[in-house]
Amino acid sequence: MKSLIELTNISFKLKNIKILNNINFKIYEGEKIALLGKSGSGKTTLISILNGTRRQTSGDIKIYGKSFNKLDNSQKRKLGTIWQDLRLVDDLSAEQNVNVGLLNNKNLIFTFKNLLNISSFHKAHNCMELCQLNRSIYSKNIKSISGGQKQRIAISRSIIHEPEILFADEPFNNLDPKLCFYLKNLFISRLNNYKIEFPNTILFSLHKIDLIDGFTRVIGLKNGEICLDTKRDELRESDLENIY
Amino acid sequence: MQKFKLNHTVISFLPIVVFIPITYQLINDFHLGGLELFIDFVKSAVTPKVNKEIINISLTRLNETIIISFISWIISIIFGTIFGILTSDIFYKLIRIPIFVKYLLKFILNIIRSIHELVWCLILIQIFGINIWIGILAICFPFIAINAKVISEQLEMISVETIESITSLNGDNLSSLVTLVWSPTINIIKNFGLYRLECSIRSTAILGFFGIGGIGTSIFLSFQALNFNEMWTYLYFISFLILFSKQILQQFKLKRLNLNFSILIIFVSLIITFFSFCFLIYLLVNNYYPSNFLFSKTLFLNFFNLPENFLKSIFDTIILSVFASAIAISIPPILLLISQNKYFIITLRLIAFIFRVIPPTIIILVLLVFNQPSLSLASITLGFYNAGITFKLLNDNLSEIDRNNFIAFKSIGISNRSSWLIGLFIKQSKSYLSYCAYRSDIIIRETTIVSIVGSLGLGWQLKESLSSFAWNEVFIIVLSYSSIAIIGELINDKIKSKLI
Repeated sequence: MKSLIELTNISFKLKNIKILNNINFKIYEGEKIALLGKSGSGKTTLISILNGTRRQTSGDIKIYGKSFNKLDNSQKRKLGTIWQDLRLVDDLSAEQNVNVGLLNNKNLIFTFKNLLNISSFHKAHNCMELCQLNRSIYSKNIKSISGGQKQRIAISRSIIHEPEILFADEPFNNLDPKLCFYLKNLFISRLNNYKIEFPNTILFSLHKIDLIDGFTRVIGLKNGEICLDTKRDELRESDLENIY
Repeated sequence: MQKFKLNHTVISFLPIVVFIPITYQLINDFHLGGLELFIDFVKSAVTPKVNKEIINISLTRLNETIIISFISWIISIIFGTIFGILTSDIFYKLIRIPIFVKYLLKFILNIIRSIHELVWCLILIQIFGINIWIGILAICFPFIAINAKVISEQLEMISVETIESITSLNGDNLSSLVTLVWSPTINIIKNFGLYRLECSIRSTAILGFFGIGGIGTSIFLSFQALNFNEMWTYLYFISFLILFSKQILQQFKLKRLNLNFSILIIFVSLIITFFSFCFLIYLLVNNYYPSNFLFSKTLFLNFFNLPENFLKSIFDTIILSVFASAIAISIPPILLLISQNKYFIITLRLIAFIFRVIPPTIIILVLLVFNQPSLSLASITLGFYNAGITFKLLNDNLSEIDRNNFIAFKSIGISNRSSWLIGLFIKQSKSYLSYCAYRSDIIIRETTIVSIVGSLGLGWQLKESLSSFAWNEVFIIVLSYSSIAIIGELINDKIKSKLI
């Protein structure tokens, strides 16, 4: 398997407090990784370093063999993130927000067309339908919809540009158990009727342990350090106890 | 069918369409007659005149500017506060005075506010002659009304619960009033009042062009003599004054004033106010006052004797306000959209500062070396001058907001421009437009400055009528100015209330 991302001795400090300490691992093509850990264990920081929005204090990270700031836009387009705080644009409608995911492939004219609500929403609607969002909310302003719907809009936005690698920080928050399993299975199986290419490689930080079925690898974080890195099949009950 | 939506972000860019007619006219009127003069003007910026004599003159003139702006600032703050309290609801809830007094005061203050300090200055000069105190009075009139409006609006925000909690103590009404308004008023003076000093310095410089003294007069005289090196020296001095005063005021904002210093400030303020009052009374009772002014029948409206091209002047003034506002609104976001490069933004900040410091009278006179006087020329002058202010505000606000979305969008390969638009500017566009609506009120009043120099609109008419002592024309023109400003303010208030 081809290694897509490689982290070497990654550490991160914030105001002299160590958030991450000496993290080493590789992410291979096609892997489905579940990142586990207690609140405050450093999961969000690790994801921010992986997607290039935070700079590590020390260590090295290579994505497609390059450091993040040497990636060109065509390579950055292959990455996607579902943020814990969703990072939706308040002043736009649900469908306009989903279309924001397409902006990395389009020019400024498309951005303005999206702002004016005159761009095509066909693909956005497909993604939203796939996430079981009701048609009635498509054109509603993001401020007026529920937390669970917002969560699915963020998921729709992350898949619309069909990234190769997707990082997700607790992507199933605010969702009922049935929807959690449905959406997780979509990411694992990648099968759908809308010809949306789901990411082949994923790293999801998860809070609910019952969602780890289907993932190929489990990484556990404790106090900013990796305390577990194993194949899902080899995971034991005691390993989980060690994490939490 | 998809519904076309105009959101605040797009609206901020749309006014740029005014450049179509403006550019057309500017290209038609373009000439290279003043190229040498312009090159000389630009070259002089890097070779300002520096010798003992010029520094002495600059310091003396700067002193005058400081005195005029500082005195007018203090008076306008004191009376602005008094009138602000007198025009707020809370005053009439606690003190038994008929509410119509509030409406009457508000009406008078609205009219005073709607007339630019330059109009006040020209009228007062015509009546009382050139005098440093005329400048102070001219600045004070509209500034008192502006401060009163801001303070009264802020006092309206005091909650009913707070008022009830104080009044339920059944104390003396005046003490209750002071208790309620003290803290919000001090906060407004600390935040907004200090900014008004900068406005006061700028206004003093502009009025200086019309002879009231200060560094503005020196700038104008050296410009008139085409002595650009000297003019740049004065411009650098006034830039220094603005920057220096900002730094000092920043310190005041951050630090708690000690008791002795506060007492000193109050003492100085009272002395200045007392002397200003004495001087005003002296002016009014002295024979400077033209006996035929107030009681002359020519003062009363005579619509059959309107100045020539009067309606065209009104139309020009309205178009000038609209065009200049459109430029001031759309230029900053467009420039920031072009590039977010650090050095590009530093350059823009510098240009914006230059536009804020160089009085619009100088800008238009420089542009006149390439173009005929026209509505377009006046519009870009006033537009760019105000764009310097809106740019600063937008850029400062953008640097303070949360950049998470911007970073997130960039991380998935969205271009810098789109990320800036969707991730940053979209969060600010509403409040930016709201500020621009407020700025448009000021632009309407400032049309006077460029229209006097640029030979168009009501400002030019005013100058002509004043120089021929045609008081009925002056009265009609001032009334028209006031009406345009008040109507514009009402429209902008509607826009602001929709945006907030």
